[in-house]
Order: sequence, then C-alpha cells, then structure tokens
Amino acid sequence: MEWWKSLFRKRALDAQLDSELRFHIEELTEANVAAGLTPEEARRKAVLEFGGREQIKEELRDVHRVSIVESTLANLKSAFRLIRKSPSFSITVIVTLALGIGANSAVFSAIDAILLRPLPFPNGDQLMELRQYNPKTSSPRTRLAPVRLEDWNRMNSTFQAITGYYTEDNSETSGILPEKVTVAYVASRFLQVWGIAPALGRDFTSEEEHFGGPSAVLISDRLWRRRFNADPNALGRKLRVNGHSSSIVGIMPVSFLFPDRDVDLWSSVPVDEPIAQSREWTWYLGIGRLKTGVTLEQARANLATVQKQLGIAFPKTDADLNVQIEPLKEMTIGGVRRSLWILYGSVSLLLLIACTNIVALLLARAAQRQHEISVRFSLGGSRTAIVTQLLTEVFVLAVAGAALGLLVANAASKVFRALARDLPRVEEIRLDWRIVLYSLVCSVLATLVCGLFPAIRGTRRDVSSSLTQASRTQVSTRNPLQWLLVGVQVALAVTLLAGAGLLLRSFQELGRVSPGFDPRQVLTFHISGSYAETANWKGLTQRIDRIVDSLGSLPGVETAATDATLPGVPSHFQIELKFAEGQQDPERKIVAESRFVSPGYFATMRIPILSGELCREMADSTKSINVLVNRSFANTYLTESTVLGRHLQEVPASGILSPGEIRGVVGDAREEGLNREPGPTVYWCTGASGPDPFYLVRTRTEPMAMAETIRQRIHEIEPARSVFNIAPLTEHLDEAFAENRLRTVLLAFFAATAVSLACLGLYGTLSYSVNVRRREVGLRLALGALQGQIVKQFLLQGLGVSFLGCLAGSVLVAAFARVLSGMLYGVSPTDVTTLLGVVVLVLTVAAVASLFPAVRAARVEPMQVLREE
Amino acid sequence: MTVQKSDLLQGTLDLLILKTVALGPVHGYGISQRIQQVSREALQVQQGSLYPALHRLEKRGWLQATWGESESGRQAKYYRLSAKGRKQLQIEESEWNRLSEAIGLVLRTAE
Repeated sequence: MEWWKSLFRKRALDAQLDSELRFHIEELTEANVAAGLTPEEARRKAVLEFGGREQIKEELRDVHRVSIVESTLANLKSAFRLIRKSPSFSITVIVTLALGIGANSAVFSAIDAILLRPLPFPNGDQLMELRQYNPKTSSPRTRLAPVRLEDWNRMNSTFQAITGYYTEDNSETSGILPEKVTVAYVASRFLQVWGIAPALGRDFTSEEEHFGGPSAVLISDRLWRRRFNADPNALGRKLRVNGHSSSIVGIMPVSFLFPDRDVDLWSSVPVDEPIAQSREWTWYLGIGRLKTGVTLEQARANLATVQKQLGIAFPKTDADLNVQIEPLKEMTIGGVRRSLWILYGSVSLLLLIACTNIVALLLARAAQRQHEISVRFSLGGSRTAIVTQLLTEVFVLAVAGAALGLLVANAASKVFRALARDLPRVEEIRLDWRIVLYSLVCSVLATLVCGLFPAIRGTRRDVSSSLTQASRTQVSTRNPLQWLLVGVQVALAVTLLAGAGLLLRSFQELGRVSPGFDPRQVLTFHISGSYAETANWKGLTQRIDRIVDSLGSLPGVETAATDATLPGVPSHFQIELKFAEGQQDPERKIVAESRFVSPGYFATMRIPILSGELCREMADSTKSINVLVNRSFANTYLTESTVLGRHLQEVPASGILSPGEIRGVVGDAREEGLNREPGPTVYWCTGASGPDPFYLVRTRTEPMAMAETIRQRIHEIEPARSVFNIAPLTEHLDEAFAENRLRTVLLAFFAATAVSLACLGLYGTLSYSVNVRRREVGLRLALGALQGQIVKQFLLQGLGVSFLGCLAGSVLVAAFARVLSGMLYGVSPTDVTTLLGVVVLVLTVAAVASLFPAVRAARVEPMQVLREE
Repeated sequence: MTVQKSDLLQGTLDLLILKTVALGPVHGYGISQRIQQVSREALQVQQGSLYPALHRLEKRGWLQATWGESESGRQAKYYRLSAKGRKQLQIEESEWNRLSEAIGLVLRTAE
C-alpha cells in the first residue's frame, strides 16, 4: 500500500526533499567558509556547485511518482491479462456481482429517495406538520381551526411561518363536461412556508387572501398541460370550481406535488371569511417552517406555551388542547420505513451470499495459482505486493460488476417503481451520482470482502509451498473452508426463503379469510361535492339520497349505497359512546368503530341482519338517527335481546350526532381491514356523512361494465358534478395490501435468487472437489469400487453441508421472523410447516446441484487418470 | 573524473553508495564527500545523480533513512544499510569483482 501513502503525503514529501537538499548546500557553504571565502561568496559557490536544485527535486519526485504509476499499471495490466485468460471465471464473478450490486443499488436508490433525502423543498428538514391534540377525547388528534392557526402563527417565536391546507374533490365546470379536480384549500403564507415560487405567474396577493377580494387559483403543471396544452396564456383564464369562478394567477413547478400527486388546484381561503371564525371548526392540517437553527424540542416547548396562553384567553375551546408537532417527512413516509429496511436487509444478505460465492471461487482459484504465486515469491516479490496484485484483480472484476450492476439497477429500479407506485415519494427515485457512488463503494467493499481473505490465505508462504507439494502426492485435498462458505450461503438462503415463505403464507391465509361481506361485483366511485354543502345537512342528505335511489333503479344494478370509508380497506374511527338510558358503569368504557352508511349498505355488501330490522334514513341526521350494531358490539356491551331500542350517545357530545336509536343487530364483518378481527362496530345510518362519500353499487354483471351507464345517469340528474375514481371494490382491497404485496414479491424474488446462488456455490465447490480428487476416485474405481458408491459419497458430502446450513439457517430464521412479526397474518413467526417446507425445498435443490458433479466423478476413466500421473 | 549517469552503469553508482553507507549511517552530503575522499578525488558524484539514486535504493528497501542532527547541529537525512541492502551489497560486490576480473583477463590476454 506504498502507493497511496505517497499519494497522500505528496506535500510532506516535498518538504522533506527540500530540507534534505538545503542541508547539502549549507554543508557545502560551511566547507567553503572554512576554506577562507566570505560567507556570501561561499554560499554562491555552493549553490553553483550543487547545480539545478529544482531540477533535482523534480527528478526525486519522479522516483516516487513513477513507482506509483508503474506498480498500479502493472497490477492492472496483469489483472486484465488474467481476466482474458480465464473468461468463464471472470464472467461468473462479474455477473454474480452485477446482480448482487445491481439489486442492492436499486433498493438503496429507493431508500435514498424515500427515507434519506430531505423532502424536495428548499431546506425540507425545517418543515413540520402541526395538529391540535385533545388528550381527553377518544380521537385526540384532530385538524386545526383556522383562527387557531392564525393565533399560533402570530404568537410563536420558533417558526418562520405556519400555514394550513385541506383537500377536496370537486368539479370544474368551465368546459363542456364537468371535470373532476382535486383542490387544496390553503391558508395564507402557503408558498412562503414551502419556499417555492410558481414556475409561471405569481403567488396570491393580500387582496386575494381577504374575504370579498378577487378569487384566484394556482394550478398544477399537470392540469396546465392537460387543459391548456402548456400554453403560457393560461394565466388570467378563468376556472369554475364548485360554481365559483376564479382566475388562474400562477402555474406551479412540475416537482411540486403537495399535499399529494393528485392535486390540480390551490385555492386561497380568506382569513376573515365569516365561516372560518369558529374556534371549534377543525379544517386544516397545519404546516410550519422552523426558523434556522431551531430544534424540534424548542418548537414544541414554544407552541405549548402559546397554546397555554390561548387556553387562558379562550378557556371553553382551548383549555384542553395541546399542540402536536412532527417532522413533515416522518408524516409523509410513515409506515414504509420498516418495509424498506427489511427489503434492504434482504438484498444485502443477497449481496453477502454473492460475495461468499466469489470467495469460494477465488479460494479454488488461489489453489490453482499456487505455483504462480510461489514463483513470484522466489523472484523476491513482497507479500504486500502480491496481495495488492491479487486484490487489484478482484477490484477490476468488482468495478466491471458494479458498472454492469448499474444497468441492472436501472432496470430493477423501474420494476420497483412500477410495483411500488403507491409508496410515498416514489416519483423521486432516480439513479444519479449518489447511486453511482454507492455502487462504487459496494464494489470496493466487495473487493475487500471477497478478495482479502483468499489473497492473504493464498500467499501464506509455508502453506503455499507445502500445498504445492501436497497436491501432487496426497490422495485428497481437504478444503473445509470452502465447505464452510457453502454452508453459510445455504444458511442465509434458508433465512431469506423462510422469510418469504412466511409472508406468502400470510397472503394465502388472508385470501382464505371470510370477510363477512361480499366484495365481488361491487363498483365504487366518488361524485364530486364540496364541504360548503355541509352548511345545509338536510339539503345534502336529500341530494345524496336522490343519487342513491336513482342509481338503485338502473337496470343491471341490484342495490346502491354510500359509505364514508370503503369496507375492507384499513381505516380507524373509534369513538367512545354511552347509553342514553340507565346507569353507566364508569369503569366500563364503551368504545366502538363508527361507520356512516346509507341503509342500502347492508344489502349491497350482503351483511345479514341478525335481529331487529333495517335502519331508516332520517331527513335530518342532526335531529334523530337510526343505528345498527354488529354482533360483536351486542355481545360485548349488552345482549342481543336487550340491545334493541336503546339509544347511543357520543362521549363527549360533539353536537353533530344526535343520540342514535339501535334498530337491529347485523353480522360481524372485517371492514377495518381483512387482516383484523371484527371489533364492536356501530353503523350510523346516514348517507350524508360528508359531501363526498364512497358510492357502492352491486351490479348483476362485471362491475366495470356498468361504469359508463352510471356516469350517464349522474350526468342526467346532476349535470354539474363529475364521477371519478371508478373502480371495483376488489381492486381497492388489493391496493390496501399493495405494500404488503411489494414486500412479499420482492422478498420472494430475493430468496429465489439467494437459493440459486447458494446452489451455484454448492455445485462449484463440489465440482472443484471432484476435480482435485480425480486421482483418488480413479484409483478406487480401478480397485473395484462401484460407481454408485462414488456418486453416493459426493452426493452425501453436498447434502451433508446443505443440511448443516439448513440447521444454522433455522436459527437465523428465528431472528429474522422477529423482524417480520406484525407483518404476518394467520401464521406464527416460528411456523414449523413453513420452515420444514423451506428445508425440504433447499435440500431438494441442493441434491440436484450435487448430483451433476457426483455423477461426473463416477464416470472418471481410471486408466486415463492413472496415466496422467 | 565525474560520475555521470551516462558515464557509468547505473549499478556502479548504486554499488558505490551501498559500500559507502555500509560504513555507518551517513547523509547525502557525507556520501558525496566520502566517495570523493576515498577515491582520492578521482570520482566526483554529481548531486543530480546521487540523490535520485539514494531515493531509488531507499524505495527498493536496500537503504533505510532516518532524520537526525548532524555534527553541525542541522537536521539531516541519514541513510543506513538494511539487512536486504547488505545482502544486495554482497551480491553486487561479487558481481563487480567477477566482472572486473573478467575484463582484466580480457585486457591482459589481449596485450
């Protein structure tokens, strides 16, 4: 490693050269003085005598430089020569590394884009999500009242600015047909918080942010291209959303995808709008930008103080509230962190297996090259030089592997993006210099992991000389180390395969679950609506009822209904309840999932009514409402017989829901997610849970075939509204497990690759062993051994190592399964069936991999081998 | 006579240096002085040849260098022979003896 030292010590070297030469001149000067010259003359003579000092220095530098370049060049040259000389070996190593590094880089590019990089906004790490939080209620984290948001923004000292937003799916009606648009309604300072300016046009003016001022919108790049063909004259044009005309004042950059990739418009909500003045209305998700240098803890403490002051000023509404602040990035990437790290861990295990494979190959090769290495030793090569040379060979292979790996990564990353299109930030995944750098680091690490050990072992002088002797005279060469490596590969492959097996089993179990409702032949969609309509609940209820009735009467439709959330897609809305009549046991809280459905829901989803009768929709749900409860609710809190006719009340009362009368009991259904046991559930019978519930239509035939009929019918009765997100319910259920599926598919793929690699390693090592022992086998055959015995011997050797690998793998599985627990359904992390299946599978494949070399061993011609001697 | 790069085989300068350094740790200035004195001013090593040769021998591991204080109290780079260098000196010395003997033989018979 002389070369890099001198490379980095160039400056130190120069100083040394200087002082060494200066010393010489000074000594000469002194000698001249001693000879009787004046100091000046002595010095001049000395300098003359010494000659061109800079020239000498340059020459000395050459001495050092040449050796760096020379040795590196020589090493590289001989590396390329060796690669050309043994193409099959080189290609095996390069392809193995390309797959290993490529898959690893692809997953790393996802981790880098989703988890590691700050959000794609200037100083994205300063962005925080703010919520108000009331620990005394059952769903404490809520959205934020507009006035409170303004208070926080005004009174805090840790944020540059705080803003807020909510989104709504609406219709844009300036064209011939209503078009569904997703609108983000934003508070003041929205763009200021993001630190982003429109790509074209301008931000909202202060007039546009006040009640009664001109109405303005910013539009997304997507809408701009879709509606205006990217025409810059779109600025100033009018859009009509929700019956309200607004001018386009700006077009946002293509990269700005907040709150999500579907947003088409950003519309400013005036601070002084009369409807925004209540402290109890909760609209906004708050977003704030921290001041430079302010920590999360300081911001939390600061806003807690602010809220305490508000609690004193407005005891009725603000006394119980806290502030919750989380980094926006955490809120965005949420739950995918664990999945991604598991995938990354798996793909790194895969790379490790690939490296182990290469170590085994290199060890076998080092044994073949012992002659060459001892010749080099005898020619006076130092051990460091030979090790460096061997490492250079591996490094050249690794860099070639990494380069090819980048192509693999590019393809793999595309597959990943296609599989994972629902993950947050997935559009930010790309291959850039960071990933190239990462691949390069991978190849350096792979060089060290793969190359160092075989190189050091291969250059042990005593061993190399003794082994050259041994291979000629000894009957068989034992290579326990290579077998150990094969065992390690098998163990790692078993670990990955068992992980994949557990995930696959969970999927299978999920498929077998009877959900309690029938998701087949149900079409779901939205019809645009605005929160402004909620000012008149009665009108809203009538409108939605009319739509549901009209849908139900379509030919080809059995029943139609609405639901606030889709059944079977994970959601949570637990609220605390109490019975209006009778004494309540204060120790026994009643907590239940609440669903808001129209009465047709139960027929549409085929959820049976067990006792009582179907609920009826009341004209005004704020005055009186019917409820149904499920069996689990009835059994947990009452009995089926006593439950009917009782009234349920929200705790604490919000004033929005009136006490609901229990009209009947229905069967349990897994509406909160197919992987969750049904819990106590209360169905509030109102179609109008909000302006835009999910519509569910049970069709007589293939559901998507009805889409056009439904769209036409809605156009007839509600010409200003758009129908969107039309999809069969089964598709939503599939999507709900998309992350789960991504995990499973990728892990299964990695596991399959791992098993193939391990078998390749087994095959290679056994083949090598057969080659080395040809003489012994020939001799034994000549002495009368049966071919079957030879096959059996080698087969058992391969299987024995694989079996030990499986045993070790089973221990690793226990650790791996702990990581997976919580992602499994219906199968225990230590499921014996899965593990046994995996072991049987691996042993079978291992047997096949061992059979080929074993048979080849038995076919050795004794005479030929003995003649070779 | 001045020892130039072109004048003498590279190996000759190396041999002279190795032999001089074999007497004990010495700096570059000392080496050039000693060669001059011992050869009775017959051989004068150019600085431009001496120092590259010293560094080459050091890189090859035949010489070891340390920084120390000279008799005049200045910091100087002292070279001493390594075990490898001692072996090399023996080889080169016997090579040189064989060569000069052989040349001598040729010259004598030619007379």
